[in-house]
Formats: sequence, structure tokens, C-alpha cells
Amino acid sequence: MKGPGGVFTERRRPEGVERGPWDGSSVPSGRRSLLRGAAASFGAGLIPGVLRPAFGASPLKPVAEEDALVAFGHTGPITDGGWTTAHDLGVQAVRKAFPKLKTVFVESIPYSADATRIFRQFVAEGAQLVISTSNYGDFIKDVADRAPDVGFLECDGHTVTGNLGWYYITHWYASYIIGIAAGLMTKTNQLGYVGTFPIPSVYASANATLLGAQSVNPACTMRAIAINAWFDPQAATQAASALVDSGCDFLCGITDEPAYLRVAEARGIKAAMWNLGMRQFGPKAYVSSVTLDFSRFYVEQVRARLNGSWRAAPHFLTLSDGVDRDAWGETVPPNIAARADAMRERILSGYNPFRGPIRDNTGAIRVPEGTVMNDDAIYQWDWGVQGMTGLG
Amino acid sequence: MTRFQRFPTAPARLVLAWRAAALVAAALIVGVLLALSGRDVFVLGELVLRSTVGSRFGLEDLALFMTPLVLTGAAVTVTSRIGLWNIGGEGQFYLGAIGAAGVGLYLPGPQIIVLPLMALAAIACGMAWIVVPTLARAYAGVSEIITTLLLNFVAGLLTYWLATGPWRDRVTGALASSGRISDAIPELWGVVHWGFPLSLAIAAGLAAIMTWTGWGYEVRVSGANPGAARYAGMPMRGRVIAVMLLSGALAALAGMFEVAGTVHRLQGGMADNFGYLGIVVAVLARRSCLAVIPAALLMALILDAGIVLQTQQLAATAVLAITGLVLLLIAIGDELAHYRPVAPASSTRSGAAA
Repeated sequence: MKGPGGVFTERRRPEGVERGPWDGSSVPSGRRSLLRGAAASFGAGLIPGVLRPAFGASPLKPVAEEDALVAFGHTGPITDGGWTTAHDLGVQAVRKAFPKLKTVFVESIPYSADATRIFRQFVAEGAQLVISTSNYGDFIKDVADRAPDVGFLECDGHTVTGNLGWYYITHWYASYIIGIAAGLMTKTNQLGYVGTFPIPSVYASANATLLGAQSVNPACTMRAIAINAWFDPQAATQAASALVDSGCDFLCGITDEPAYLRVAEARGIKAAMWNLGMRQFGPKAYVSSVTLDFSRFYVEQVRARLNGSWRAAPHFLTLSDGVDRDAWGETVPPNIAARADAMRERILSGYNPFRGPIRDNTGAIRVPEGTVMNDDAIYQWDWGVQGMTGLG
Repeated sequence: MTRFQRFPTAPARLVLAWRAAALVAAALIVGVLLALSGRDVFVLGELVLRSTVGSRFGLEDLALFMTPLVLTGAAVTVTSRIGLWNIGGEGQFYLGAIGAAGVGLYLPGPQIIVLPLMALAAIACGMAWIVVPTLARAYAGVSEIITTLLLNFVAGLLTYWLATGPWRDRVTGALASSGRISDAIPELWGVVHWGFPLSLAIAAGLAAIMTWTGWGYEVRVSGANPGAARYAGMPMRGRVIAVMLLSGALAALAGMFEVAGTVHRLQGGMADNFGYLGIVVAVLARRSCLAVIPAALLMALILDAGIVLQTQQLAATAVLAITGLVLLLIAIGDELAHYRPVAPASSTRSGAAA
């Protein structure tokens, strides 16, 4: 299924077919159709417990725009200048597209049973579509299971049920492109990564950046620190300082806010960000950012919910359609930017840079020669590539 | 002329009256502020009431909130009876969760056996977590406030380490979580599980022990007047050790109920400040184990109302400020309850002088 603009890679399985949600059978992209074999070897069997035959159930009933309530649950404050701000821009797009519809949001939802309470409260207040802009796992699934008429979407989720779907951005391609610039710009060959939790999206981001860097500078290694929080500017600052102290001269990461860019600016090194363009916090240090745009996806999902065509499904927002690299920073040499952008063009034309041999950080080959990791395999990534230390 | 004098004790009815006044005052202040910011106070108030006490959904949530609060509140209350403060409920909660999760994750067996074992493991872990502060207090006089508090941070980090490291979920890759534990406390009413009546029964049982047993009497005397207790030959040190271990066990049991009843995983951050909120509950309960139950209910109401207000686009910080205001006014009310009018003793003398 594609949106009106043909923008979203929405993958749906025919009813009753016993396959994983990562099966890209209806995806037109050459990249994915080439890699279906890899999906089987990397994805299938990893998460058997989360598959439910209810997937592909009939769509939820339509809702009149003036009766509709769409609820968003955020992991941080909408003023974080990064992740939650990016989602809030999507919320604003929904408000603009559907002026009669009501939207509510709750910020800074803790990752605890409080999340369940908040999602339950959304349901109790009559929300027809609940969108959690971060991974809340069982806390959202428990609520969704008890509210079958309400649609649920979980960003960075991994579970699809009759009324709970997930969506995520394939940020690893943008990270790989920025990694090329990092590999060419580092002098110490040590990249620093301000991580949050050792979960697949973080492995994917860190690994992709390092693989991009190693593709042009095989001597590159990466030190990562997990700060056990998405939004903790103080911990991110401390982690960034420690990474610089240990010899890293290029910082990247996956925190919700721009704290480590300020560290890079103060210490005279380079940094690549994510979420939004944010060069204003460190114009000299700023290299680029993995920029996210959820507006079209949110508008599309709300429209589907209103007109009665919404189904729970997994969605990847792809490079140039929801995720991309930001315009290069002022101190990035044009030849380096051009080299990284050449890879962006290749990826956009269907090339997948995540191809074997890829070794893990013990040196063992995990992706053999001649095999590629597709989005579904990358979305389950739970090991660090060779040269990575400190994550998990 | 009548004057007001501060008495060392406050009668329960005065405390209740002042607290009711404090709640009304808090509601008025918050209502006026919300009205000034352009919100419909009555719609908000109706929604808060309906979402907390006015619907089955709200009542279920209240009971789920109360379950850990009763236990962590009781944990602080029992130590306060002997004149100590266990600020480490948060850490003991985490250790209880760790103990319960360890058994639940790695010990196969029928639920009827595994669940009690989870509880026992939780209690053992919670006691182990408070044993060093306990011995330091009992034998060296080290302030238990500092030692129990500092261990909270260690426990929180230990939980994160387990949940993101050796015990991390390899099935769904859930964030900072262990795998899902299949053994769950059976549900009783909607999402409310048997931990709720059990926690109420534990609080009531503690109240009975404190009131009616010789042990409880010795604990109370030791707290009220350590000198007298020692003079009467009561084993102070033994009582301190027993009470602090009991306190650790109670907070740990709250962690076990949260793991086995609500969250079903070990998770970093899962304690949700229940250990610290237990201190607030104990202060509200004024050292009575039985009063922990209504105090936990009030705390649960405040927290639940906060969640409803957040879905009405009040910022989390504003909700925190409202919670603080309610508790501040209650504290003022509690203090005012110590004041009673006294007959003007000087009036006869001044009359005689005139």
C-alpha cells in the first residue's frame, strides 16, 4: 500500500500468511526485493513470540473528523530541540491538515507502568488513534489489547497485533552517509558515540556510522557510551566530554537533544547530530544531522483512520521520505561532502551498503560475503561491528 | 481573650479537619490559576473525578497505584515507629524486583510454586540491601538516612545493568528490559491483581502487630523514648535490626508485586519513585500503619489526577507543582492541627490587678 504521494513503504501481508512482518513482498524498491533472502536469514526466527495471526485484520471503522481525537505520547518534552520537537512538528501538520479534529499529547512519559496509565487515559477520553512517539513495548501493547477499536502506532516498536502497528525511520542510510564524512574528517581515527540504550535502533545507528567511516578509512574505530536515557542533557554532556578526553575527535549519537554538539564546539572537534538540523548550537563543529520528518506519515495515518482504511501494520519511512541527511556544515570540505553525497545518490538508486563481510566486535563474521542486511535485519541488529566498543 | 497554643500531640479529628481544609484550599488555588490561564475548571474537575473515582477504569488505576504505595509507605512507617528513617525504599524496591525477576526468568515450574519463591527471593534481596545500613546503625550509630539513600543509586544502576546487559530481552529487544516473565500474579478485577488486597492485608497486619503485641509495644517505646526503653531493659539493638530488615522486606515486596503483577519484566526506571513516594505516604499517615492505607489512596489520587491533567495539555512540570502545592498545604494543615485554643489563663490575674 502506498500513500497518495507514493511516499510510504507500507508493508502488508495477506490474511493468514504465516510470515514475519518484515517480509517485503509488496515493496517495489529494488533494494528490498533483492534482499528478501537476507531477511529470511537475519530476521526470521528472531522474534517468533511477537507474531500474531490477527495481523492483517479488517480495518477499523471510519470516524468523522469533528468527532476524532488523536493522542500522542512523547518520551521527552516537545521543546527538546530534537526527537520530540521533530514529532511535534508532525502533530502540528496533523492539526493543520485536519482543523476540526482534536489532538492531545503528553510529554515526558516515563518508561514505567505510568506509561500504561497515560495510554489508558487516552483510551478513556475517547481517542480513536493513539501514537506513541517512542518505544513503550508492553506498556502500550497491554493497553492496545484491551481496546481493540482504537488504533495504536508505536515508533520504534516491534510488535504488530490487530490494532497495534509500528513505524520507524530507516536512519541507518543517513548515518552511513554521514559516517563517510566522519571517516574522512577524523584525524585520530576514533569516533565517539553518545548512546542511550543498547537496543537495535541504537546499534543500527552506531554500526552504520562506523561502517560508513570504515568504508573510506578502515582504521576507524568507535567508542560508545550508553547513558540509559533518551533525554538527559547533563549525562550526554558528561559522556561526550569523556569521549573527547579519551581521544575521540568526531562525536555522533542518538540522544534526543543537542547537548553533545555544544561539547564538540567547546572542545574544537566535529559532531554529527540527529533528529533535526541544529547547526545553531555549534556552527563550527556541525557536520550534518540525520533529519527526521514525520509530517506526511502522521497526516497519512490520521487520514486512513478517519476514512476507515486504517490497519495495524509495520511502516518504514525511507531515505528522502521522512529521513535524510541535513545540508552539510560550514566547515565540511566540499570534496568530502561530495564523496558522501555520491553514496547518498547510490543508496537512493537502490544500492545497499550493508553488505558482507561484516564482522562483529569479536572478529567473527556475522554477515557473510555476498549477503546484504536489509531494513528488517538492520531493525533487529543487536551486536556491534568490528571496531566498536562500549555498547552493550 | 482566647489564644492558641501549640500542643505536642494533634488529635486525629483536628488533623482530618485541617487536611480537608488544605485540600479545599489547594483545589481553590489550582482552580483559580487554571481559570486565569483560560481553562474550563469545571470540565477539568469533572474529568478528573470521572477518571479517578467515577469510573471502573479509574478505580482500577487507583488500586494499581495504591499497591506499591501502601507497601513502600508501610516500609517507612515501621522504621519511623522506632525513630528511624529508611530513605532507601527505592533501592529495596529495585532489589525486590531483581530477586523476583531472577526467579521468574530462570526458575521453571508451576506458578503456584514459582510465585511464592519470587516473593521470598524479593524479600531476601530487599533485606540484603538494607543489612549494611542496619548493622552500621545498630552497632556504629551511622545515620541510616544517608546510607539507605545512597544505596538507592547503586540499586538503580544495578537494575539498568541487568536489564540492558545479562538479563536483557533478546526476544523483542524491549527497551532496558528483561524478557517477559510468564508467571504473573492472577488478576482480580480488571487490571487489578491480588497484590492489592494482599498489600492492604499486610498494612492491617502490621498495624495489629504494632498495637497489640509486646514486640510492637517495645518498638513503639524504643521510638518514643529510647532512654526509657533501655532503662526498662528492652533489647533496642535487636528491635532496630528487626524493624529495619522488616522495612527492607516490605519495600522489596512492592517491587515483587510490580514485577509479577503489573510490569512483568525487570526494567530500568520501573520503581517510578515509589520508594520516595513511600516517604510522603508515611508522613501523611503520621506513623500509623493502618493510616498508610488512606494516605496511599490520597497519594494515588493525586498522582492519577496528575496523569489526567497531563492528557489535558497541562505540562508535566505544572502537574508536579500542583502535587507540591497539595502536599505543602497538607503539611501546613498538620502543623496547625497542633494548635488549640486555650482559656486565657492570665485573664483572672489581670482582672485582679485591675
